[in-house]
Amino acid sequence: MAVPVTAPAEPVRPVSARHFVRLKLRMTANNFRGQSSRVALFLAGVFGGLWFAAGGFLLLAAPGFAGEPRYALLTAAFGGGLLVLGWLLLPLVFFGVDETLDPARFALLPLPRRTLVAGMFAAALASVPAMAMLVATAGLVVTAGVLGGWVASLVAAVGVVAGLLLCVAASRAVTSAFATMLRSRRVRDLAAVLLAVVAALLGPLQLMVLAAVREADWDQLVDVAAVVGWTPFGAPWTVGLDVAEGRAWAVPVKLLITGAAVGVLLLWWSRSLESAMVGTAGAAPTRSRRGPVGGAVRQLFPRVLGWAGRDRFGALVARECRYWWRDARRRANLITIAVVGVFVPVLVNLGGNGFAVSPDQGFEFSGNSSPVLLSLSMLFVGALASATLANQFGFDGSAYAVNVVAGVPGRLELHARMTAFSVYVVPMLGVVAVVIVSVLGEPGWIGVAAGALLAAYGVGLAINGLVSVLGAYSLPETSNPFAMNSGAGMAKSLLTLLSMLASTAAAVPMVVAAALLGDVWLWLALPLGAAYGLGAALLGAYAGGDVLDRRQPELLSTVTPRR
Amino acid sequence: MTAEHSAFALRGLAKRFDGKVAVAGVDLDVPAGSFFGLLGPNGAGKTTTLSMAVGLLRPDHGRAWVLGHDVWGDPVRAKRLLGVMPDGVRLFDRLSGAELLAYHGLLRGMDPAVVDQRAAELLDVLALADAGRTLVVDYSAGMKKKIGLACALLHGPRLLVLDEPFEAVDPVSAALIRDILHRYVVGGGTVVFSSHVMEVVERLCSHVAILADGAIRRVGTLDEVRGERRLEEVFVEAVGGRTATGEELSWLSR
Repeated sequence: MAVPVTAPAEPVRPVSARHFVRLKLRMTANNFRGQSSRVALFLAGVFGGLWFAAGGFLLLAAPGFAGEPRYALLTAAFGGGLLVLGWLLLPLVFFGVDETLDPARFALLPLPRRTLVAGMFAAALASVPAMAMLVATAGLVVTAGVLGGWVASLVAAVGVVAGLLLCVAASRAVTSAFATMLRSRRVRDLAAVLLAVVAALLGPLQLMVLAAVREADWDQLVDVAAVVGWTPFGAPWTVGLDVAEGRAWAVPVKLLITGAAVGVLLLWWSRSLESAMVGTAGAAPTRSRRGPVGGAVRQLFPRVLGWAGRDRFGALVARECRYWWRDARRRANLITIAVVGVFVPVLVNLGGNGFAVSPDQGFEFSGNSSPVLLSLSMLFVGALASATLANQFGFDGSAYAVNVVAGVPGRLELHARMTAFSVYVVPMLGVVAVVIVSVLGEPGWIGVAAGALLAAYGVGLAINGLVSVLGAYSLPETSNPFAMNSGAGMAKSLLTLLSMLASTAAAVPMVVAAALLGDVWLWLALPLGAAYGLGAALLGAYAGGDVLDRRQPELLSTVTPRR
Repeated sequence: MTAEHSAFALRGLAKRFDGKVAVAGVDLDVPAGSFFGLLGPNGAGKTTTLSMAVGLLRPDHGRAWVLGHDVWGDPVRAKRLLGVMPDGVRLFDRLSGAELLAYHGLLRGMDPAVVDQRAAELLDVLALADAGRTLVVDYSAGMKKKIGLACALLHGPRLLVLDEPFEAVDPVSAALIRDILHRYVVGGGTVVFSSHVMEVVERLCSHVAILADGAIRRVGTLDEVRGERRLEEVFVEAVGGRTATGEELSWLSR
């Protein structure tokens, strides 16, 4: 029975992308088993997706119904470009990516990389957002059909599918690349800075675009749209219109541009996918051999916590502080707050009336913001910052068992977690307030900005403290900080949205006061806002702590990842 | 009632998951000062039972006492006397070994000076001091077990509950863990641990219980349970295992 050891045991049937899609659907379905709340959340997500899809469809189909080829080009190029940009950036900043199929699980299987990438890509396409996107962009097919007959609509359909491929490939490639960078000990801080700089650049860039839009007339806009149509951002969406307008020669070129972009993105993705597969095993500890300083207790407490008592509260705060920095998932969230916190209020407050580019003076300031608008945008930032805590126990995973075994009282637990998070976030909010009033050129409004921020943040802490106890869910134990369980993605977006809405609503008195009280409020806003926020946070911890005391073991089992 | 006098007493602990019975009513009395082995095949319900007994998982029925204190009724006092090393549960592993011990100690309300002193000693004895500032997540499996044991021991509990303490541990570390546990029992502590490794149980335990399909099949002192036979035979018989006939899996030896 001498068989050469190198001989393959049996003929191997080829693995196709279909298997990956079926595996993903099967895993998604199994995830729902016996969990009616997850099914409900999933359905809510599907309906949300349909809602947005229908809205997008109408917007993109409107120029067709109106019979306006000029608007058609504008909506196709700019609308489509925005969609691509959204797929590129939103997973990074808000939603994460669905990693039902964790690439690390495939590391041991004898699969060629090409098969793996094709399969993972196909599985990524089988998702609610991708389907919603397809429905929305079908509006382009209608427009092209109305304007140019069935040939145009057929070509537009091909373009829409190509565009979807482009969007999904872009989101996968970018999150995967950033995950790799954030995971690596060597460049993770560099990656964080890079992400921040990219997002910070978006602000001025968008301002310039808005200013240009304001200055430009329709003809110029159409020219710009035509140019965008030749970039990967607009190419797949405008092919149908090209046929309608008798530029059929442009179609193959544009499809080629799109195809090349998808190819490059997939190649990039497959590179970082490889490192995601082996990265977990190969992460060798290469810490500096600097010996520990002082006793164990002194090592636990970071220097900024010198004021904290060496007791249970202090230990909880110190551990949380260490985690906000050392856990890639948490750090990604902190970066998001820093980036969005500066970028969104600048946009809101300067809006279309922001900078105007004038040839002789460079930037010219022409903002017309008001304390009310400022307060509103600050509420958003405060609510967003605190929403990070909506699943704070999910970050811990099964390690939370340590606190359960030690019998940490619920209120102490929540107080400590709020304090530790605030060690990072409150200075960040201070910077946001300073930056925004300097950009606006209204240093007198610093109190209004800071007061609104603190009020919304404090209220948000209270609400998210409760949400984190009652609505916790487990996060997958992968090294990708952007990864989510399927279904949990819906849960996360929905919970975050709800808690942000609730926090904003509860902090609205700050806006009302800004509107009614006039100049007095410039002085009162900071102390009153801070007191309001602090009071709310303490109240939230009081209520949430009670609930936590009663459901510690249940919380532990919901945040423990199923294996 | 005996529950008042045992170090660890379980009465009618039961748990279902999605309609499937995981533990079907476990009664157990662990005498103070004993070295108690909870034996069972994979999936027998060892981890579920111990989780319910130490307050990590709420039971559907039943109660548990640690040295007379009800784990679910009076958790603060029960948990003070208890040291736990769960299996398959992560530690806060983005801390270094020393940081983790400091966290555990302060969380138990210990004096910082005592924490420092005991942490240094434990790291030294368990040969973890060399790891320095390496994060626990980067430790090897054996080192993780050792730091988990150190965390459970730090506050000087009277009852130690360990889930699979010898799983994935090399012989050197296993011997070290055995020595420490032995000294702990000689000093008046009580150890309960789960395992499916017969040799370890036969060498260490004064008492054993065999758990299968969520119910206790045999319980008593080691000699009572095994009688004249080897523990492994008793175990396989109690669990209802099967022996291979040699007919199946023929393709393995082509």
